[in-house]
Formats: sequence, structure tokens, C-alpha cells
Amino acid sequence: MNKKTTYLFYTIISLFTLFFIQIIYLYSTKAITKEIKEAKVEFVQLVQLPDLAISTEATYIRHRSLADIFSIYKDDGSLREYFPSTFTYSHSQGYK
Amino acid sequence: MIKEKINLYLIQYAINAILRQKSKNFFILNIFILLTFLLTSIFFISNSIKYELNSTVEALPQITVQKIKAGKSYDMDTSVVDNILTITGVTDAVARVWGYYYFENVGVNFTIVGLDTYENQYKKSFENIVKKFDINELSENSSMIVGQGVYESFKKGYYLQNYFNFIKPDGSIKKLAIAGTFNSDIQLESNDVIIMSKENVREIFDINEDKTTDIVVKVANPEEIDTIAQKIKLMYPDTRVVTSEDFKVSYQNIFNYKSGIFLTIFIISLFTFFMIIYDKSSGLSSEEKREIGILKAIGWTIDDVLKEKFYESFIISFLAYMIGIISAFAFVYLFQAPLLREVFVGYSELKTTFELPFVFNFQTLFLVFFLSVPVYIAATIIPSWRTATLETDEVIR
Repeated sequence: MNKKTTYLFYTIISLFTLFFIQIIYLYSTKAITKEIKEAKVEFVQLVQLPDLAISTEATYIRHRSLADIFSIYKDDGSLREYFPSTFTYSHSQGYK
Repeated sequence: MIKEKINLYLIQYAINAILRQKSKNFFILNIFILLTFLLTSIFFISNSIKYELNSTVEALPQITVQKIKAGKSYDMDTSVVDNILTITGVTDAVARVWGYYYFENVGVNFTIVGLDTYENQYKKSFENIVKKFDINELSENSSMIVGQGVYESFKKGYYLQNYFNFIKPDGSIKKLAIAGTFNSDIQLESNDVIIMSKENVREIFDINEDKTTDIVVKVANPEEIDTIAQKIKLMYPDTRVVTSEDFKVSYQNIFNYKSGIFLTIFIISLFTFFMIIYDKSSGLSSEEKREIGILKAIGWTIDDVLKEKFYESFIISFLAYMIGIISAFAFVYLFQAPLLREVFVGYSELKTTFELPFVFNFQTLFLVFFLSVPVYIAATIIPSWRTATLETDEVIR
């Protein structure tokens, strides 16, 4: 094995090591722990409302599972379908 | 054994071949890294948001009943609760009062939720989810618990004191003290939420005692949810009945993949990638052809040439793939996806931290792998095979 091949193997091995170290690190620090999950469940049980507060500029995005098909018009007569979030989250899923 | 299967000299040759065309291969490597990075980052973010949603989906109400009039949701009569309770199988029905409050100073929407009273049953829950918690203050009727984002909005709107003045529909003011804020661990759920007593919510939104925003129904046997939902719909045809199954479906379809930003990103990245592929597969340069010709002339078999080309493309694509996913993991979970985050959080002033739960999903990694690495290898090997099967003198000439 010449120098360049050795370098290549070392690069691949170090990339794999980095990958596994990263996974282990993220798993131990960023994954949902049992306590946090319980707190989340408790909160949702308390307020009984669906969806996440990630994007809150319009009600049909904030609680999209409970929004109805005319919600876009309800919030604003000018059809505010032009929020960036409406291109990301689909709205009015819960309508029957 | 391994040495027999993997010819190290061919690998050496492949490395040298890559280094001979440094700038071209460096460019391909970078585009490739960007592609895998972008695709995996988006997949990671959407997977984490879905995971976050699904971890609480079981806690949601089994049936939610809303009144729909002229296509909009209206307040319902509280008496409906008693009629729903007569349906066999229903164990509980609760009239909820909640709504959105627009805080003009900062331009944000809050979600105000009314609880019956601050009874002991909530005490334990509050201990787990509220910080700066003071039960005595809560038991007084004129206080509320707010999400982290709400608290910051109050501060921005110059309400530095421990209270907030809500403006009622008639223009008068309702002053409520801040009893505590929700833990930052549950910020993704609670950022824009304010919890207070039902009486206060009724006062702020001017909802009469005999009216309710919607009704939440508990069913003893989960198998009966659909039947009971149908019964409610028959009793009150003007209602919309949302079951827990609907929530699950809604959570599955959260992202608007069909239009907009996702489509744009996918098309751009795939287009870039296929441009590289097209460039590669449309034929080798005369120099590359000569190289294959000379190799064959000095005794390499077609097999050797293809193996060498395989190593060459595998080294580039696999390195790019590994670097791409490693940086995507760091980008999304360690740095909270700057720039890309804006696509998901929208432009509301009420922003959450983008601390997403880490989910290790093999499927995503395999999907991106099979979308990129084999395609690139094929695009390198096929034209080489075409050249390598030609007569040597024809190629060199």
C-alpha cells in the first residue's frame, strides 16, 4: 500500500469514526428523554390541542389539524396564502 | 483473501487518476456533498418534526366536535355536552373555551386556553411543565401561565412587569398576572400558549356562559370512536367531528411536499445532480478515451478497466456521501439549521428555538445513498465500458 492509499483508508476510517461518535453524542444529548416526553404528553393532555407552535403567523397553520377549508379566507380577505409557511405545511387537513 | 479480491494497485491507480484531474473532481465532490447535505438536512428536519408530533398524538382528544356555520367554525351551545353524554360508550364530554389573541404591539398571535379552575388535579402536571411556579398565585383567579415565546413577546411589547393587559372586545382592559412560564423543554408545543381559567377566557373573548368553542369527547372503548363520531354527526349535522385518527392522518401529511419550497429544493438539487450525470454519461473526453486505450494496449483487461473506474467513482461518491450526512447531522441538530430553519418557522415574530429531537432514521440515509452513489457510479462505468469494449487501436488512433 503506498502513501496515498493509506491516506485514503485513514480518511474513510476517520469519517466512519466521526459518524459514529456524532450519532452517539447526538443520541445522548439531543434525543427526547423519557422525562421530556412525559412532560410533553402532560402538556398536550392539559391543553388538548394538536400541532406544534413552530409556525404561528396564521391560525390555519398553527392548528392546522383543526382548521377548516375556509380558514384562509377567515384570517384575511386577501387570501394570505403567501406566508412562507403555507408552502411548507399543508393546511386544513382535518376537514371532513 | 481481501487482497485477492480488492486489487490495491488498482485503488492506487484510481487515486492517482482522481488527483490528475484535481479541479474537475474537486468540483464534482463539492456539488455531491452539497446535494447529499441539502437532501438529508430536509429529511432530518421533517422527520424530527413528525417524530415530535407523533410522540404526543396519543394524548390528544379522541373526538373533537366543532360547529360549522357558513364554512366557518362558530361557538356551540354548552347544552350539547349533556346530549353527547347520553350516547352509550361516551365516558366524558368537556366544553372547551379557547381562541387566538392578536397582540398588536408585536404583531403575534397567542393561543389562549381556558382550564376549569386551577384545581389540585392540575397541580402535579404543573409541577412537571411549569417553571417559576407558584401555586398560591395560580389559585387566585386573575393569573395565567404563559409559554416562553409569549413571555418574550410581552417583554418586547414593553410589559416588563409581572402582568399583562388584555384588551376585551368592548375596548376595556383585563389585567392578568403572570404566574409562571412553561419549561423550555416543551417549547415546541407551548411557545405561543397561555393557560388561564375559563372565566377569564370568556371575559377576554366575550363568550357567554352558555357558549363553548368546541367539545372534547372521551370514549371508553377506542374501537367505538368512529361509531360515536358518526352518532354525534347524526345528532348535530352542522358539526365537524374530528377523531384522533384524523389527527394521525393530519400529522402524517403535515408537509406540503406537493407545492412550494420542497419541490423547488428537490428539483434544483436533482437537476444539478443529473447535469453532472449527463455530462459524465454523454461520453468520455478524448483524453480519457486515450487513457483507456493505452491501458488496454499494455495488457489491462476490460474487467480491470471497469474495476478501476468503479473504484474511482466510488471513492468520490462515497466520500461525498459521508461528508454530506455528517455535516447534515451537525447542521440540523448542533447548529439548529440556520437559513433552512426559516423555511420551517415562518416569519412570525413568535419564534421557537429550533431544538429538534434527534431521530436516527436508517431509511433516510439509505434513500439518499441510493439516490446518489449508485447513480454516479453507473454514470461513470457505463461510458467507460463502451470505450473499453472497442478495439484498442481504434480508440488510440
